[in-house]
Amino acid sequence: MKRYWWLGLVFIVALILPFVIGEFWVHVAVEILILGLFAVSFNMIFGYMGQLSFGHAAYYGVGAYATGLLMVKASVPLPICLPASMIAAGICALIFGYFCVRLTGIYFAILTLAFGQLMYYIIFQWYSFTGGDDGLQGIIPPDFLFSATAYYYFTLFVVAAALIVIWYISESPFGYTMRTIRENPDRTRFIGINVKRYMLINFVIAGMFAGLAGGLWGPFNRSIAPDLCNWHQSGTPVFMTVIGGPLGFFGPMVGSVIYTFLMAFVTGFTEYWPLTIGLVIIFVVLFMPGGVLGFFEERVKIIRARALEVGAGESSEKENS
Amino acid sequence: MDTSLLLSQFLSGLSRGMVLFLIASGLSLIFGVMNILNFAHASLWLVGAYFCYSFWVLLQGYGFGMWVSIGLAALTLAAIGWVIEVVLIRRVYDRELPEQLLLTYAMVLIIGDLIKLTWGVEDRIIARPPLVEGPVFFFGIPFDSYFIFVILVGFAVAIGLWWFLQKTKYGHIVRAAVFSREMVSALGIPIPRIYTGVFVLGIFIAGLAGGVQAPVGSITLGMDMAIVVQAFCVVVIGGFGSLLGTLVGSIIVGEIYAFSILFWPQGALVLIFVVTAVVLIIRPWGLFGTPMRA
Amino acid sequence: MKKDYFLKAFGGAALLVVMTALSVGPALAAEPYHLGVNLAITGTGALYCKDGVDAIKLAVEEINGQGGFMGKHPIELFVRDTHTKPDVGVREAKDLILRDKVRAILGTYSSAVAVAIKPVAQEYKVLHIAAISNSENITKVKFSPYTYSVVPNSYMQAKAVALGVAELAKKKGWKEYVTIASDYEWGRSTQNNFVQLLQQAAPDLKLKKEFWPRLGETQFTSYITAIMAQKPDFVYGSVASKDNVAWMKQAKAYGFFEKIPYPGSLVSVSELIIQAKTITRGLVGLCRAPFFAHMDVPMMANFVENFRTKYGRYPSDWAVMEYDAVYALKQGIEKAGSIDTEKVKDAMKGMTIDTTRGKLYFREIDNQLSCSSYLGVVADDPKYPFPIYHDLVEVKGPDSWRPEAEITAARAKD
Repeated sequence: MKRYWWLGLVFIVALILPFVIGEFWVHVAVEILILGLFAVSFNMIFGYMGQLSFGHAAYYGVGAYATGLLMVKASVPLPICLPASMIAAGICALIFGYFCVRLTGIYFAILTLAFGQLMYYIIFQWYSFTGGDDGLQGIIPPDFLFSATAYYYFTLFVVAAALIVIWYISESPFGYTMRTIRENPDRTRFIGINVKRYMLINFVIAGMFAGLAGGLWGPFNRSIAPDLCNWHQSGTPVFMTVIGGPLGFFGPMVGSVIYTFLMAFVTGFTEYWPLTIGLVIIFVVLFMPGGVLGFFEERVKIIRARALEVGAGESSEKENS
Repeated sequence: MDTSLLLSQFLSGLSRGMVLFLIASGLSLIFGVMNILNFAHASLWLVGAYFCYSFWVLLQGYGFGMWVSIGLAALTLAAIGWVIEVVLIRRVYDRELPEQLLLTYAMVLIIGDLIKLTWGVEDRIIARPPLVEGPVFFFGIPFDSYFIFVILVGFAVAIGLWWFLQKTKYGHIVRAAVFSREMVSALGIPIPRIYTGVFVLGIFIAGLAGGVQAPVGSITLGMDMAIVVQAFCVVVIGGFGSLLGTLVGSIIVGEIYAFSILFWPQGALVLIFVVTAVVLIIRPWGLFGTPMRA
Repeated sequence: MKKDYFLKAFGGAALLVVMTALSVGPALAAEPYHLGVNLAITGTGALYCKDGVDAIKLAVEEINGQGGFMGKHPIELFVRDTHTKPDVGVREAKDLILRDKVRAILGTYSSAVAVAIKPVAQEYKVLHIAAISNSENITKVKFSPYTYSVVPNSYMQAKAVALGVAELAKKKGWKEYVTIASDYEWGRSTQNNFVQLLQQAAPDLKLKKEFWPRLGETQFTSYITAIMAQKPDFVYGSVASKDNVAWMKQAKAYGFFEKIPYPGSLVSVSELIIQAKTITRGLVGLCRAPFFAHMDVPMMANFVENFRTKYGRYPSDWAVMEYDAVYALKQGIEKAGSIDTEKVKDAMKGMTIDTTRGKLYFREIDNQLSCSSYLGVVADDPKYPFPIYHDLVEVKGPDSWRPEAEITAARAKD
């Protein structure tokens, strides 16, 4: 357990954060957490399963609408809404995923995109139920979560719990099977694993956590709109993951920190946010293919390699630990 | 439901389909040959429309101003396409699919803002010459005369591309490169040059499509976002890399749109995505495509 | 191996703390008045919003020339782009409130953005003045005392048109009609109100079919042919901004307006200017704040002159209303004798103000300005390089707004 102490420290920093920063940045921190969870759930498909989903916002949006509708139309308490969001998004992911996992590569990307847009237009057109383009207003969290700080702590605990669960899944035999499928689906099949079923289960779990993130968004923003579902929104976790690095568990989270912070910072003085993030993405794709984490990883390796050369053999035992 | 109504919806669906075909054909060509899905295709199409507007402003005084502007817009875009290929696309030939997608997606964002910086936020409108200003009548059914031109350009591009790929030596090399890069390379033909040529050709068609689109309505920011996903649908339905498929796919999508307005106005866009999803599930390679590397 | 990730994640988090700590500067003294503008500078609303922002800048310049609000609170302007998306609008509103410390937010192009921002402004006790978006839901239900509207709302506009169209229908013997409306909050509520009010004003008229093109549609040909095939006696449309420009241009190419009357749809000064050459003369249009209707009001004459001097063009409806919004705020502050938002909000309640459109007042029940809707026939005018409205009919606010009893009833369901 010794190697996890860094994580505890990050958590403690997160706990004292609201006392250090202004209220606006508490709002930004909530966004970072929610979008971070969204990106981590996306990375279960992208990083671990090796498929690019371009319609992940569908599950995020369904989660947001499940919580929003339950709270506005039925006054259901938030703690019940969030699991409901996960279930609703999970069901949606099960139906769409059933077809998606039959495809790979570009076809997988486009089918998820088509399903995502389908979901978007259904929410958009179903005026009587979803409020159409107006979205839903008046999604007010309970009194004890009303302030930004309170909602921040609530989000922090929910997201932390979700991350722990996802971490366990990714480190379980199931998680390693997913990695095997990513590396070589045919060989995985030969050793008797039902690849499609595994992929579908993974797809549904990823959808459920995206739904949880969506459920957290509505009460934070006080309102939701169909835009949460469309393909621009699906691009966000892709950006975050690529910036942070898709191969580490915390890559998407780091990406969310960078992306959301940069957005809050840049939009403060220029309307040309798309231009800015576009240039950042091109830079990352061309010069930092492993994302920020991957980049630092390389650096660390190089430094270590040099250290090894200097103190030849001395630290080889440590390396293995 | 009388026949004249069905005919008039068919014609409007056909013109919508042709606008889509002009965008999707370049997209499909680039994907078919280079295996790169260009998210920014519609953004470049929009740049073409804006360039057409700018040229038209300069040439307004002449009767042929608009027609020349469309051609100039296409040539300008070909030059821009060349720059993009050499500076950006060439660097990601060997990368994974997600990285290529992200690169072109980032271009969407950048191009959008560059358009705003260059042309501002106002709508740009090209006043059509009198020849194509009013309606023409087929059996008493009104039809926007400009769309006759649009449909003609659409078929001209289709036939031109077919001729190029099937009948010219260069076209044969391109088709060979689709099947085996190594073989073409081994024959001493430089692959990057073929790719650059194909990309420039694709963007040239996008620029032409943009120029053709410009006088249809108004030219505005964000038009590209709405149409790019529909263009993907066209390519999927028709089959990646299949010219005939793209043509048929465009007309299918255009007609679905036109007829669902009659029968189920709310569901026009939903239907398009349903059809796309169904095609992907049953025949991932599309109606006219061939199963290939995935 | 994993240790590295934690190390880096921690490093990232620590970096974030430092960065945020640095970017939170010390709070400024209360002297200058921080004024926020939340408009759609990109996206479908850009056409209208650019004029709005320019008018606000002009008003701020004028007021700052006199030392600012009450002669001593210079205005600092913070302009943000909502991208016409509700969640972006909310984030930007929060940013304006929390980081830029604005005391009032002007603007909102999209009604969906307006209704999303309303509760946020209320929560943080910041004034919110809607000057372009006009869905009546902004002030009708889920009422916020911090939200004011200086634009004739969708009900008022629909009522004005319904009255006008009912009269025309009687005169011309119309029986059936078709509607085409953009599929979003404003398009829907306008169409809805129009259909209901017309039902009351002319019960014999029959609605044959409804068409709902999506917001941002660029090609209307399929709608045009479908509508023409219905052979309606007239068509009512609520399509806004650049969609409206595209729709009207393409409809014209089909000879639509020569065949089918198209009365009472939004043809603002923006459309008149942009389509100066192409718009069909004789069209019966509706607009919200045409400057040419009030050139006799000195404030309007002054504004038009200053706007033309500064920007070299005529102001659209949107410019007029945003300009009025700034001056409404100015007069509220003067009456309150303070820039304290609570006092200003209370002072503005029921207040009568001078606007470019004459003396108007805010109705107490919903903070709606008693502004007029304008109907007229598009015709050329030697005074302007673009057509304006002739035979102008001004339907006054108090004659067209929703009765208070209905508002109370609607709010009971909140």
